[in-house]
Amino acid sequence: MSSVHTIRAIQDNIELVIKGKTHVIEMAVVCLLARGHLLLEDVPGVGKTTLAHSLARSLDCSFKRIQFTSDLLPSDIVGVSMFNRQKQGFEFIPGPIFANVVLADEINRTTPKTQSSLLEAMSEAQISVDNQTHPLEQPFMVIATQNPAEYHGTFPLPESQLDRFLMRLSIGYPSLEEERKVLDRPHSLHPAEALEAVLTAHEVLALQARVDRVHMEESLTDYLLAIVQATRQSELLSLGVSTRGALALSKAAKALAVVRGRDYCLPDDIKELAPIVLSHRVMLNRTHGMRTQSFEQAERMVLDIVETVSVPV
Amino acid sequence: MPFDQAFKISSILLAIIAFSGLVFAQSVPFWIAIPTAIILIVTLCDAGGIALVRRAMAQVTVSPTIWNVLLIGAFVIFLIDLTAVSQDLLPAGIHFLVMLLGIKLLTLQQRCDYRHLYAISLMAILASAALTTDAWYLPIFLLYLLGAVWTLLLYHLTQETTEASAVITPTSMAAGHATFLGRITQRFFWLTNGIAVMTVGLTLAIFFVIPRIGAGVLQKTHGEALRTTGFSDRVDLGTIGSVKQDPQIVMRVELPDQPTVAKDRLHLRGLAYDQYNGRSWSHSGTRRRSLSLVAEGVFLARPAGSRLPDSLSVPIRQDILLETLDTPVLFAAPFAELVSGDFLAVQIDGMSGLHLPLSPSSRARYSVTSQVPQLVAGDQAAMVLAYPDSIRSRYLQVPVESQQVADLAHRVVQQVSTPFRQTLAIQQHLLDNYRYSLEADTATLNHPLDEFLFVRKTGYCEHYATAMVMMLRTIGIPARLVTGFLATEWNEFGGYFTVRQRDAHAWVEVYFPQSGWITMDPTPSVSAAAGTSRWESIRRFGESFRLQWDRLFVRYSGKDQLAVVHEVREGSDALRERVSSWISALSAPIGHVLTRLARMSRIVQPGVLECITGVVVVGLALLLLMLRDRIGLWASMHLSIAPSQHAIVQLYARMLRTLEKKGLSKLPAVTAAEFARQVERKWGAAGPVVADVTALYHQGRFSRVPLLPKELSRAAEQVGRLQSLLRATH
Repeated sequence: MSSVHTIRAIQDNIELVIKGKTHVIEMAVVCLLARGHLLLEDVPGVGKTTLAHSLARSLDCSFKRIQFTSDLLPSDIVGVSMFNRQKQGFEFIPGPIFANVVLADEINRTTPKTQSSLLEAMSEAQISVDNQTHPLEQPFMVIATQNPAEYHGTFPLPESQLDRFLMRLSIGYPSLEEERKVLDRPHSLHPAEALEAVLTAHEVLALQARVDRVHMEESLTDYLLAIVQATRQSELLSLGVSTRGALALSKAAKALAVVRGRDYCLPDDIKELAPIVLSHRVMLNRTHGMRTQSFEQAERMVLDIVETVSVPV
Repeated sequence: MPFDQAFKISSILLAIIAFSGLVFAQSVPFWIAIPTAIILIVTLCDAGGIALVRRAMAQVTVSPTIWNVLLIGAFVIFLIDLTAVSQDLLPAGIHFLVMLLGIKLLTLQQRCDYRHLYAISLMAILASAALTTDAWYLPIFLLYLLGAVWTLLLYHLTQETTEASAVITPTSMAAGHATFLGRITQRFFWLTNGIAVMTVGLTLAIFFVIPRIGAGVLQKTHGEALRTTGFSDRVDLGTIGSVKQDPQIVMRVELPDQPTVAKDRLHLRGLAYDQYNGRSWSHSGTRRRSLSLVAEGVFLARPAGSRLPDSLSVPIRQDILLETLDTPVLFAAPFAELVSGDFLAVQIDGMSGLHLPLSPSSRARYSVTSQVPQLVAGDQAAMVLAYPDSIRSRYLQVPVESQQVADLAHRVVQQVSTPFRQTLAIQQHLLDNYRYSLEADTATLNHPLDEFLFVRKTGYCEHYATAMVMMLRTIGIPARLVTGFLATEWNEFGGYFTVRQRDAHAWVEVYFPQSGWITMDPTPSVSAAAGTSRWESIRRFGESFRLQWDRLFVRYSGKDQLAVVHEVREGSDALRERVSSWISALSAPIGHVLTRLARMSRIVQPGVLECITGVVVVGLALLLLMLRDRIGLWASMHLSIAPSQHAIVQLYARMLRTLEKKGLSKLPAVTAAEFARQVERKWGAAGPVVADVTALYHQGRFSRVPLLPKELSRAAEQVGRLQSLLRATH
């Protein structure tokens, strides 16, 4: 099976569960292939968890879900060393982070301390406990969800941590037609549970390797950098995109190229991904009368900036 | 050198070449030529980037109104010129053209100005073709073609560059793109010159293949005929001397069948004279008869059936190109047997002189096969020769007062027995005892012969020859004076004799009953043996080049063409079949067109060469214009100035230009795919085409694998389709 078909298969699989969100699903797959982590930010009840779940289900990989609460401790995530009497020594009991796909549900409900315990795992794909380093299994992907509507009892993610997510997606309400289809479905069984895996871990790794081989023409790199420059110079933003952000955009663009069945990037890949890859990495300039940083505002700003950068011909 | 600059320079060089064509044709008076030349040099320096000129030019800004006033002024001058000064359309038009050229050069700003400049240059080069048939036109024309190829290519490439850069709007990626928007690399240089050479080859092929409309409408119609002396009914002694310094070329004589050795001298016989009255020679029998025509253009000089007295005679074939002379005499080695040439009739007089009915109005090319009589043994040894009465009555005449001459003759031959030896003795006497000098002006003397023989003892060919004839006649040997040219200047490059005015000569023919008229020359050889220095040989090379130019281009006629075709036909059967099938396939329609053209040409009198040149140049220009896409495609695929993606980028840019005409323009921040969707929405018919080109563009521009030529040509086709779609909607 060619890579295009494989990827198509995951998307179709997830679409069995989540109706009418083709684009979001595609982006989730892009994130997977780019070895990135996904931040789903939306109001409750539009299918964030379901998306994460069904993506995990579609892969023949281990899947763990962590419900973040305010009393969650770092050891609840990474694991803990316990004294084993028989062996007369400490033994590391891996936490739920030791899985291929980890769903960090409502990540902003826990304390920054616990949130930052995810940092090492997300950026280095390893866990250090008691001077011991435990590598995480590959592929490894964190899918975090958060609810922007609630502010009570939440701890907004720090910029450094946001930067570690490849992209931030919102799912949005389904259309009337799609919603009707959801209602018509039998509710007895959680639909994501019914999914069958269509991709092995090995195949995912192969696809990820393919992303690395995607060709990005020199002028496209220039284009990408021009976009990044523009965010740094824009008056609308007080914080531009970091170098990690540029790297993320490049990786995501390559992954999108693979998803679309190409082995080279197009300007369109970059342009399309820029809002969702960059918008959570910038800070809006508060002097422009924007008190709070909302998802849509940031995305619109990035989109506006992208529209000022000429595409190479 | 960057393309921009190269483009400007080559455009101006093109104008310079065309202008120099006009100057060489001597059609531009100095009051126009000098300012124009200055303007040309200044603009060339400006384009060449000479800082001083550049700064000066930058400071001079003149408003468009003044240019318009200048233009109108030039037109007024043209009208005055036409009505009062030149009173002829061609020179006045050329003056106007040159003025336009000057004005246009000073206002070179936009691309359309350059196009006007090219149009003016084209007209100038055509006009100079109409004015000349000289060989210098060839290098000018070749330079013009070379310049035209360069200019058209550069024009095209700079156009692409400016348009492409308009699309790119370089910001941060400017550095990345500036590299492929060209400079002249070595490869580009040689490729362009290669194209030029191919163009020349093509032009030549067309020139030689296209059927002639007619031959030589313009062959030297202007310019005076050369004045000759010594070929009229009466020749005063001493007249030839007046032309003995004149280096003007009178004719060129090729000896196609002869081995290339022994080319030291050749007597080219003009007319013979039998009556001498003491001061001048004249004919007695001036009755001429027409030669019988044995084939078209071939005349038999000897009465049919007659044979020369002896078979010892040597045939010589000469191909002669005779300049326009003021005499109808045809020259040939003695004695002509067959004359072939493009003549209606050829006449022969009683003493084997060949005449045309009228002096030719243009250069004449003809071939003569001559039988040079040799002295037979019987005549050599005979003690007494029996001359026929007709000879005796005519060729023994002497003027009355020549007793002194007779005494001299008898004294010279008194020891000698046979007539032949006597002849030689007289010849030897003259050779030994007299000094050759051109200063002996005897034309005004009453007894020039006596003066020569007994007083001055210096003279030149006429004196020597006259003296010999007279001396021979006084001792009873029939002889006559012959005028003509003595060819001594052998051109080893072209394989022919160059004959000049100063080679005019007079010599003697002595009659022997069995052998006929034998050529004797008592004049000491004075030919200063055409120099062997390098300069001389260069000069001779140039001379032979001019002959070839005349042969191959100016006088290249339908007949020559047929001859070539004949040769080709004889050469190979396969080729013959092909050629004949081409000819039969082409001749009907082309012949039809050509007869019509010929009818037209009779009214307006255009030349052949310039017609063809014009057709070729215009055709090539059109061809280049039509193949713009292909050439651009080819150039971008093969020239090192561009990476392989450049071709598809150019095609894409062309597509954008086409769509712009439809009002669909791509904003800089819009990606190609987005734009394709926009087009799809707004102009559905073009949607699939644009989508296809966009896909190819994506693949060719951004992927690692360059497009296949097949794909590139598909893209080019699609762009062409889009252009025709656009035309269809208008």
